Amino acid sequence: MRLFANTAALVGKELQTEFRSRELLITTMFFVLTVIALFSITFDAAVSDPKSVAPGLLWLAILFSSSLMLQPCFLKERTNDTLSALRLSVGDPFAIFLAKLVANVCLLLITELLALPLFAVFFNVKIMRVFPQLILVFLLGSIGIAVTGTALSAISSQARMRELLLPMLLLPLLVPILLASTEATAALLGENPALRWDWLAILAAFDVVFLTALWLFGEYLLEE
Amino acid sequence: MAKTGVYTFLVCVLMGVTAYFSFFVAPTESTMGLVQRIFYLHAPSGMVSLMAFLISCIGSVAYILTRRPKWDWLAVSSAEVGVAFCTVVLLTGPIWAHPAWGVWWAWDARLTSTLVLWLLYVAFLILRTMIDDADRRALVSAFFGVFTFLDVPLVYGSIWWWRTQHPQPVVFTSAGLDPTMRKVFYLSWLSLTCLMALLIRQRYELESSREELRTLEQELEAT
Amino acid sequence: MKNLDSVFAAYLIGWGIFFVFSLSVAKRAAGLKEELGRLKERLQDSTRQGK
Repeated sequence: MRLFANTAALVGKELQTEFRSRELLITTMFFVLTVIALFSITFDAAVSDPKSVAPGLLWLAILFSSSLMLQPCFLKERTNDTLSALRLSVGDPFAIFLAKLVANVCLLLITELLALPLFAVFFNVKIMRVFPQLILVFLLGSIGIAVTGTALSAISSQARMRELLLPMLLLPLLVPILLASTEATAALLGENPALRWDWLAILAAFDVVFLTALWLFGEYLLEE
Repeated sequence: MAKTGVYTFLVCVLMGVTAYFSFFVAPTESTMGLVQRIFYLHAPSGMVSLMAFLISCIGSVAYILTRRPKWDWLAVSSAEVGVAFCTVVLLTGPIWAHPAWGVWWAWDARLTSTLVLWLLYVAFLILRTMIDDADRRALVSAFFGVFTFLDVPLVYGSIWWWRTQHPQPVVFTSAGLDPTMRKVFYLSWLSLTCLMALLIRQRYELESSREELRTLEQELEAT
Repeated sequence: MKNLDSVFAAYLIGWGIFFVFSLSVAKRAAGLKEELGRLKERLQDSTRQGK
């Protein structure tokens, strides 16, 4: 299928570009760590049981970081004027979105996996016994963040105040992801770890709904 | 013009009648007393704001498919009216909560969802002010409008489920509605819906006048 | 009866918001109409001059 071939090629290009310099990945990672550290400091003295707020703080840190990390996604295409070249190279504009989406999910997952050990240390939570399940939650959550974030990056790159606009647009939209991911993570890190299929279902529903919307309407965002 | 005047008058009469019924006809609630009457403004406003946002989404989808500016006018007009009704919910909520429960705010399902909804559609309106080109603004905000409305059931659903998992004492009760109360509620819903239509119409006319102005300016430049 | 002020405050604020919204739209519309009238006059003048 041409769509997948084109997408795969573009994903390769996206990841190659990023790994050449690694600046986005490194900066995002350190931003996540800073936020987690600051949250940990703030809530350690104020809350009697910091472990209870830990999952929420982790996902807030991920959300804030991703709203910054997703900025350059379409902005760099507009700045370098490469968008028309991209459009010409693929038949279906959805391939561009799909490629950036896959690349962003990869970058997000790498960031989250690198932040996880420090999170476990700061908040004294046992992650190894539920590691596969945690990855599943991270994957579903990151897909949701990446789908909406990629689309909104295309939107905000066409507007003024884009650095503030993207987080302002993205964060309210991601409330279901925040709630569902936090609840699912909390259930996994609690006394009796359990995989909450109800919350995973909400995450999956979010991903499907917005991926479909992006597929239906996304090409109009790439019009010049 | 006369038709709009007559409709405006009818809406005002309807609102007055609703107020009379809310204050004097609806029975006083047993636990919360007088303050519960705010319910007849608070709850229907929430539902009307959702209706306005649905209309806005329809306008957004129609614009993406047809590119006729009148759909963009509908989208922005109903979004603004929706935000107005949302604001009413968010302001009447605390005014109700404080005398009844001693707290200004409660993270109950409806109030939390309404707050997120308000944030989303204010974001929509701010996005529009950040794009100068009219066609680009219409297309981009239409897309965000669709995204936002698709998020609404997910927001409500996830918040409701979250609140079910971690129950709170019910602050804004609509349970156990007496039949007379129910009738007053529906009357209020009807009158607020009519008000919504009036306000959307008014705001839509403003957009259409702006377009007329722009066309005239272009004509003048051509001569 | 002290809760009566809360009820009044709520309804006043609620209707106030609707009223302010309608008023602000009406004001902008009136300004636009004025501007439109002026522009139409100018257009008529310039077409008359053109002829």
